[in-house]
Formats: sequence, structure tokens, C-alpha cells
Amino acid sequence: MAARYDRVVKTLCAGCHCTCGVIAYVKDEKVVKVEGDPDFPQNEGFMCAKGLAITQMLYDPNRILYPMKRKGERGEGKWERISWDEALDIVAERLLEIREKYGPSSITWSWGDAAYHCSKVTKQAWLRAVGSNVRFHSDGHYCYHPMMIANNLTLGSAITSEVGPDYRNSKCILLWGGNPVASHPTRARDIMLAKKNNGAKLIVIDPRMHELGAKADLFLQIRPATDDALALGMLNIIINEELYDKEFVDKWTIGFDELKQRVQEYPVERVAEITWLPVEDIIKAARMYATIKPAALHNRLGVQLRYNNIQTMRAIACLPAITGNLDVKGGNVYHYYPPGFKSLGMLLNEIKLPDEDQGIDAQQYPLLTGSRSLALNPCHPPSVIHAILTGKPYPIRAVWALNNLVVAMEDTIEVIEALKKLDLLIGSDYYMTPTMELCDVLLPPCTYLEREEVEHLFYPNYIAARRKVIEPIAETRNERWMDFEIMKRMGLELPKEFKNEEEYHDYILKDMGITFAELKEKGIIHEPLTYRKYEQKGFNTPSGKIELKSSILEELGHDPLPHYKENPETPVSAPILAEAYPLILITGVRHVFYFNGANIQLPWLREIVPEPLLEIHPDTARQYGLKDGEMSWIETPRGKGRTKQRVKYTEALAPGVVHAPSHWFYPEKRGEEAYLEANINYVTCNDPPYDPISGAVPVRGLLCRIYSAEE
Amino acid sequence: MAGKKQLKLVLDEIWCYGCYTCEIACKQEHGLPAGPRLIRIEREGPKRINGRLQMEFKLATCRQCPEPDCVEACPEHAIAKREDGIVSIDAGKCNYCLICVDACPYGALQPNPDKQVVQKCELCSHRLAEGLQPACVSHCPIDALVVESE
Repeated sequence: MAARYDRVVKTLCAGCHCTCGVIAYVKDEKVVKVEGDPDFPQNEGFMCAKGLAITQMLYDPNRILYPMKRKGERGEGKWERISWDEALDIVAERLLEIREKYGPSSITWSWGDAAYHCSKVTKQAWLRAVGSNVRFHSDGHYCYHPMMIANNLTLGSAITSEVGPDYRNSKCILLWGGNPVASHPTRARDIMLAKKNNGAKLIVIDPRMHELGAKADLFLQIRPATDDALALGMLNIIINEELYDKEFVDKWTIGFDELKQRVQEYPVERVAEITWLPVEDIIKAARMYATIKPAALHNRLGVQLRYNNIQTMRAIACLPAITGNLDVKGGNVYHYYPPGFKSLGMLLNEIKLPDEDQGIDAQQYPLLTGSRSLALNPCHPPSVIHAILTGKPYPIRAVWALNNLVVAMEDTIEVIEALKKLDLLIGSDYYMTPTMELCDVLLPPCTYLEREEVEHLFYPNYIAARRKVIEPIAETRNERWMDFEIMKRMGLELPKEFKNEEEYHDYILKDMGITFAELKEKGIIHEPLTYRKYEQKGFNTPSGKIELKSSILEELGHDPLPHYKENPETPVSAPILAEAYPLILITGVRHVFYFNGANIQLPWLREIVPEPLLEIHPDTARQYGLKDGEMSWIETPRGKGRTKQRVKYTEALAPGVVHAPSHWFYPEKRGEEAYLEANINYVTCNDPPYDPISGAVPVRGLLCRIYSAEE
Repeated sequence: MAGKKQLKLVLDEIWCYGCYTCEIACKQEHGLPAGPRLIRIEREGPKRINGRLQMEFKLATCRQCPEPDCVEACPEHAIAKREDGIVSIDAGKCNYCLICVDACPYGALQPNPDKQVVQKCELCSHRLAEGLQPACVSHCPIDALVVESE
């Protein structure tokens, strides 16, 4: 075996948020194969489909391999290869001009998910040095951050996200609006292991039947965006049938009596009517979750990509809270790191931007952005786009795009208009996406196999080192190196915490008393696993208890108790509009191959899922005269155009509900052809009403109409 | 024709959850381009059966037939059934006429346009020879794929 490879390097995958252990096999300085690391506790040798496809990206001739500057008009597709020196000098010079003319907060960067977590901290240090207070996280209002807000308000930590559930030790798993097979593959494996090894029961709540729905003991096909009503109905049953953990509730929660009173408004019959679920299924789900112990709960995008997302997830968070499933083996476990370790959240918090509370919409959404943020402090993304367009509350003239904003954000036409209006658009992505096409300068990043850093795992008590496997290919570079170089060339003061990459890694570990070199040597460091940590420290909320009634929401003038509210435009809230747009649309169900917008260029993956398929129940399709496999137009009341996807008959969805995948574009095409035809965000909207706490816009549970696009 | 030991790939459908890992692991192991898919997991459903929404995952790959139609069909005699039951293609003899592709009732024979040869699942016989499991089996997250010996 040894002769077949020159080197074997253990490192960490960055294909999604899982951070699995990887073994990379190198021959002639080329990564010829990757595999899951069997010694790594989190994935135990497993590596998912998209993780295995990394070598296709690494050696793809279509990857952006050199710095380039635009020739001709924006989006014309004409580029000139330039040196790093020239590229960085252009960027630094133009950023200084823009700062001089429009002020420091006219400069920002848009962080995405494909690979760019690695430079969040150094980008923030750069922004701080520039003097900007604009953090542009294009999905900050409806992905992860709202869950942080809702969980932090209620439980003191984001433990109903993928990091909290202790699946492998669980006897009952409740998956709510999330499919880890697609979004967090190693967690899907944990769920299946719990079924196989513990006989765990699985409850899945989702409008769309998915892979784990197929394995569920109980599948609840809920009407899109009515999860708030269902959670309140389940709480009603659990409380009224006295299935809750009285001792825990008495000792460790506040607001139980008020919650009890509130849930009386949600008797099961009413909830069944709202959610389209059978009464007996709701009762069964509530009883199963409350009585089979320990139970682990996970909620994700399905309950976040909507209006009222904070109250929805607050209601869901009350379930583990009152059933005694918090911080117990097999329940939802609180994270902690080896003492002294600086997590991403702590680092971002240390490197404060100036005038945080004067940032875009900080006054409107103080729990999202500003000094009181309970999330990772993103500005309200639609308001950033609107600031670019209107100059209000202040102008934004330069964006460094590290994601594919054109397809990722709602209202493609508006986003493109905004990007074209900028004085400077810098791009760092692996491929020439529709967003990169609009850039002035491209600074090509390297993949995780070509860089090193500190990471932490889903496991509550682990950190690990990502090791560099090969040197960056062609002229791709580590994004953090770019950050330091641009700071230097702009003549900015380098961060006092770390002046270069080496110091950056060491800074994260410094209070642990070890260096990054030592962590790389060890590979992984963990603390003994402990439960019921609250008995010593209480919970990380203002009261130190689980806040069923939220003191922070009360203080800010919001409803302190969870409630149900329809999305602004549904057949229930807008029946007249629904006559013209009779179908309920959910957008952006994730696929295991594509990490949001990433990987669409990889041949192994693309051949299996070559195009977005508009999923529709056969009865509904026939009602609207749509044939299986034909192209159809999709229109929404707020869309500026119409988009086209191929009809796929499936009973995965209830009649009357359709699903259109998001983030689609055709990488083999250029310009509008590439991003308008397949992209569902061509028909979504970035305008109010926004959720009053998170600022979310609904992209699940909209209205739409569909008709044949065949002549 | 069949020898004593007959190897074939079997999927425990109870545990397979359609993660596609086996398919991409196979691509990596054999350095395949887009096109040939030597193993596939096909979805049946979701369909409502007796009021319950169901979806199943089925293995679609070479069945290493006892009397393979592809062996009969190949004009170059490039395909043979081995002692251990594995149906194997001699790439050197394959002239890419694709007659075997049509002959297989299961769609298991896959043209590789880059190499101009037909390929199929041979249970990673090179790995079996080293005492390893086929790539798909070793990558399956839930041990749902196994090589059975009949």
C-alpha cells in the first residue's frame, strides 16, 4: 500500500459544517484519493458523497487559478491575468479611495458558506482596521443566526442546531424541518446508528418526505410554515397530559404558568386544522417525544426560512426544556471547549467593529446585529442590498464577495442591480459563478487541502487541527493571507492580536497554553464529556434559568411567549391573492451534493442531479395540465420575472404544495442565461414585511402559480 | 458454469438511506468520468401505500449472473465469469461495440467514453485480492452494503 502513495496526511474536511476527519493520499504532490479517517471520533471513517468529490474541485481546469482583472464592461466575461502584487495593489488603492470618499462603512465583505469560514476572523480584523461596521452575511436573517437568537433567548445556547443533539445515545429523535442526510451527513449517520444500535424511534416533521422521513416511525407532513402552531399544540398536549418533567420545570425554568396558559389557545383540533395534520398524529408525536427518554431534537432551515421564525423556534425549544432532555446523555447537550480555547463566536466578539449599534438596522434588529446580538452579529442582509441601491442609511460602495450572491439572495434582479452599482466588487470563489462574473478583480482562494487552521467539532468537547496536505495549486492563495496583505497595502495598522497567519493560529490556542504546531502534532484535543453542567453554572440567560417566557423579548416589547403567525402570503392569510396564485411554494430544500450553492460544477455530482426539478404531486400537476418531465414556468405575486424548472411528479409533497430547489445556475452558460432560467430567487422578494425580531423574509410557504413552458 | 463460491453485492434495504456515498466512492476508486455509473441506488417513491407515505432504496448494479447474457453477447469474448462468480471484462479485448450494454437486462454495463471501454462492477476485485472490501462497501456509513458469498 505504502508504495502506491508518497504521503498520507490526516486532516479535516471543509465540504460543509461537519468538519469530519479525512485521510488524504498524495502521489507526486497530487491528492489522488480522500477517505474518512476511521480514528476520528465524529465520522469514524465515513465520508459523504460531496466530501469524496473534493479532488474533482481541486484539479478542475475550470477552477479560477490566477488573480484576474476585468477588461471591458462588468459581466462581459473578458479578463486579464495579473500578478498578486498588481491585484492586491489595485484592491488596496481603490478601497482607500472609496473609504476617503464615502467613509469607512462603505466597505464590506459578504461571507458565505462554501469555504469561507476560514477567514471570518481575519476579515473582521480587516473591517475593524478599515473602520467599517457592516457585516454582510447574505443569509444571516434566516439561516442559523435566528436559531442562535431563539435558542439563546430560551435555552442559553444553540443546542437544537446540528451541534446539540446527542444522537448516538438517544432513544427518540425528533427531526424538525431539517434533513441531515443533505445538510449534515455525518449527523445523518449518527441518527441511523441510533436506530440500528439503540432501536431509537424517529419522528420527522417536514412538508416534504425525504431520506430520513422514509426511515421514520412517524412522519408528519405539515403544511409549510405552520410549525409554530404544531409546536404549541404539542406543548399543549405534553402540559395538559402532565407528561413534562415537573422537577426540572420547577427548579430550572421561568414562565411555565404563562406558557401553560398560552398553549391553551392551541387545542389539538385547532392545530390539526392549521397544519393539515391528523389529530392522532399530533398526539402521537407529542406523547412519543415526551415519554421516550432520552430524546434528541433538531430543527433547521425548514423552520427558519420564514416569517415568525424566532417565535417558531422558541416554541420548539420549549419541548426539550420541559421534558427534561437538556444536557443529558442522549438529549440536547451543551457545548464546551477545552479551557482557554477561543471559539469563532468568542473571536468575533473580541474583535469588535466600531459603533456596532449604529450598523445597518442594528436599531431595528438588536438581537441580530449590534452589541446585544445573540447571533454572530450579521447586518440585516436585505437592508445591506437596499443600502447599496439607495445610499441609505449610508452608502455601501465596495463589497468583497466570497459567495454567490446572485443566486443565494432573494430577488436576483435587485441583487444584480445592486452589485452593478458598486464602485468595487472583489471576488474570491473557486469558480466563475454569476457573481464572480460581475467582479472587477478576482482573488482566487485555495481549498481546505491547501491550507491549515484550528477547528472545533460537533462533539461538545473537541477541537482539532486541519493540516495542509499540498501547497496551493497554481496561484491560488489562503484567504487569510489575502486579508493581511490587503491590510498592509492599505497602510492599516495590523491587528494587535495577531500580525500574521502563524500568530493567528497561536492566538486561538494561546490561553490553552499550547501552540498550533503542538495541536497539529496531536491532531485532536478533547475534554472529558460531562452532562448537567447547569447544576453548577445555571443557564446562559439573564435569569440563569430556561426562559419559557423570555425576559429579553419582553424588555424589547415583543411577545415574551411563543405564538403562531401565518406567513404574510398564504391561502389562509391572503385568500384573494391565493385565487390567482393557488399553490404553496417551498424553495431551497438542500441536496447532499450541493453545499448551498457550491459543487454544482463537479461532474460526479452534477451527472446525478443535472438540473433543478420542480417537485409537485401528480394530482396537482394534472390539475394544472403539467406533464411529468416538461419545463414549467413559476411565478409568484412578488417576483419580478418568471423562472423555469423541469416538472417532477412526486408524492413527497402534499397536493397543492410544490418545491423548487434554490441556488441553481448553469455553470456551462454565461450571463443571464446561466442564472435567470433555473434560479428560483428570480421570483422571490427582498422587501418587507420582515420578521420583527430576525428580519427574515419567507422563502418557504409562499404563493405561486405554475404553467407549462412548452410551446 | 458457476463455480462453488459465488460472490455478489447485496443491499440491506432496511438501513440504506440513499446518501449516494457508494456511488461517489465507486467513481473515485475507479477514476471514472461522468457517464459510467457502476453502482446506483434507485429510489422508489415516495408513494402513498395503504395510507402511509413510503420510499425505498434499491441497489442497481451488476448481479454477477450465474449465466450472464453479456458474456454470451460479446463478439470479442472479452467478458468472462470467474471462478469466484465475478463477471469480468478484459479491457484489452473490449472494442467498445456496446453490444453487451444492450444485452444486459439490468443496465449494469456502462460505456466509458473517455477510455472507449465498457466497464461494470467487478466487486473491486483488486481490493478483494488485498483483503479489502469493495470501495462502496467500505464507504457505506451504515454497513448496509455487503459482499455475499453463496
